[in-house]
Amino acid sequence: MFWHNFKYTLKTLARDRMLIFWTFAFPLILGTLFQMAFANIESSEEFSPITIAIVENDAWKQRTVWNEAFTKLSEEGSDEQLFHTRYTSEEEAKELLETDEISGYLMMKDTPQVVVDASGINETIFKHVCEELIQSETLTDMIVEKQTAKWMANPDQMINDPAWQTRLYEEVNEILQAETTMVQDASPTKMSYTMIEFYTLIAMTCLYGGVLAMVAMNRNLADMSDSGKRVAVSPASKGSLVLSSISAAYVVQLLGLTLLFSFTCFVLHVDYGENFIGLLGLAVVGSLAGLALGICVAALCKRNEATKTGILISITMLGSFLSGMMGITMKYIVDTNFSWLNRLNPAAMIIVRLTRYWIRKRNRKKLCFIVRFTIS
Amino acid sequence: MDTEAKQEEALFYRQIHYIITIPEHFHSDFMDGEKPQLVVKSTNDYEASLAQMQLERYLNAANALRFISESEAELVANMEAVFSETTEVTMTSKLDTAGLNKAAFYYNFVNYALLAGCIYVICLILSSFQQEPVRKRTLISSMNFAKYHRQLLLSNSLLAIALWGFYVLISLILVGDVMFSEYGRAYILNSFVFTLCALALAFLIGNLVTNKNAMNGIINVIALGSSFLCGAFVPMEYMPDFVLRIAHLLPSYWFIHANNLIKGIKTFDSAVYRELLIHMGVVLAFALLFVVLAYLIGRKRRKIA
Repeated sequence: MFWHNFKYTLKTLARDRMLIFWTFAFPLILGTLFQMAFANIESSEEFSPITIAIVENDAWKQRTVWNEAFTKLSEEGSDEQLFHTRYTSEEEAKELLETDEISGYLMMKDTPQVVVDASGINETIFKHVCEELIQSETLTDMIVEKQTAKWMANPDQMINDPAWQTRLYEEVNEILQAETTMVQDASPTKMSYTMIEFYTLIAMTCLYGGVLAMVAMNRNLADMSDSGKRVAVSPASKGSLVLSSISAAYVVQLLGLTLLFSFTCFVLHVDYGENFIGLLGLAVVGSLAGLALGICVAALCKRNEATKTGILISITMLGSFLSGMMGITMKYIVDTNFSWLNRLNPAAMIIVRLTRYWIRKRNRKKLCFIVRFTIS
Repeated sequence: MDTEAKQEEALFYRQIHYIITIPEHFHSDFMDGEKPQLVVKSTNDYEASLAQMQLERYLNAANALRFISESEAELVANMEAVFSETTEVTMTSKLDTAGLNKAAFYYNFVNYALLAGCIYVICLILSSFQQEPVRKRTLISSMNFAKYHRQLLLSNSLLAIALWGFYVLISLILVGDVMFSEYGRAYILNSFVFTLCALALAFLIGNLVTNKNAMNGIINVIALGSSFLCGAFVPMEYMPDFVLRIAHLLPSYWFIHANNLIKGIKTFDSAVYRELLIHMGVVLAFALLFVVLAYLIGRKRRKIA
């Protein structure tokens, strides 16, 4: 009886076009959309030079240190290039700023003046560089003053050493270029957060398995289908029938996951990282959570199939949304402010686990939760 | 941030861009002229680079000043003297950039909410009119098809407008002050025009698709698809060019692009209005196209075999 029912459930599921769409086609469509939308997001985080203008007045021409600094920072193609600099008159600079062609302009009066029209990151960097120049001027002045005072305190030495000015210059340079406190960079290497999008996709596919389980279950429920009525009056063991229906749903779901993994790996070239086996294992267990959700809705909700599908899809989409499918910040907001919400959210749990694989921190608790969710 | 895992998670989600860990005895080691190390973790993006630059500037100054300062108090005073020198910054625009960004972000997201909401509700309603007994009864009645079609569209527009009103209301609460300015009015008008387009699209889909089960799929593909492709979730400036070129063919692109334009407006002059009107005009043209298509399809489907 088990295999008989298993075979026919498989056939029924395979012939249901709506089911095929949700478990096979929809994740692939979404995956393609992610790839298109997020393809550039991380490369655009890398730096590109900021366009600025400098008002070329007399005060500017006198500041040789500033001239040299900006020429060096604007050198096309050099590693240190921060700016594209245009030298203009004041009116021209105002106009360029008005038309958004530059992020801001620098005007030298007694003190340098930075004019910007927004407070974005480019403006902040521009201001930062100007500040650094003023401060290093002050710093140099202070050191020169101090060192000169040292020499002055000892006039004999000055008279004996005709090259004292060169020596003073060397001393100042030595202080300014003295080896400073080292900053050791211990940044985590895996920081690609677009991966999260693909994890939400896997989690979503796992939970969509619920629709499969629900349809398979409905075949055994007397108030849902004719075959359910037939099942109710047959002498066959109900436990074995339900188990075989669910097993069939699980097989179809695993097929869907295989398709998703093959598509994302071989067509979209998604790099799932080193722990691919763990990830597969998690998807296999996560699917059980999806099945459990479907069984739960099928058994508890006494409405027609369309309503049940609606409920399942809404739960899944809401879960995916909260766990970061439409922007990963959402997951962090929910995690930090309403952590209980995502602890009840199987999609988030699967993703947390997947992310941990990605950042390579193991956390067995999450896996236990998914198993617990499945059992309960 | 107490644990390392939490720190790395916050970095991963870009909630924190730069973490500096100051080792024990850093202060005394530094004052003794040893070279203690700071440990940093960064996201390697703009924000992190800025933090890095600031940290290095501070350390370089502290290091140089240590040579010429005789006591710790003098070092601190010297540091203060150096860092009190700042550039004078003039902001030419008085824009509430943060508020405008928030409003644009909200209204870009509304693209998804409006599309999904309108299509879902309107398709559900239309599907009851598509049931065969109801259709047959309507078809043999004396009411002509154009009038029937128009009435159905108008009554559904009430729902769409109610949905729009709801989202606008929420924006007034969530976004705040900006929504009560000229900018707010522009956002509201723009979203109204888009609501009409969403209504028309929903009406077209409702006429095309009669199967309730297929509806769910179509709603998700259309709403999520155009939201992802047109920059509702990911800012347009981060998206690849070829995707944006494809997106020109979707009404969402023009709606979202207009939202982003409003964000950058400095003065509301005729050129700005013209540009906004062009965007809204394109959205309306899409709406018109959908309505006409819905009408033609509806008329063709009148025959029941």
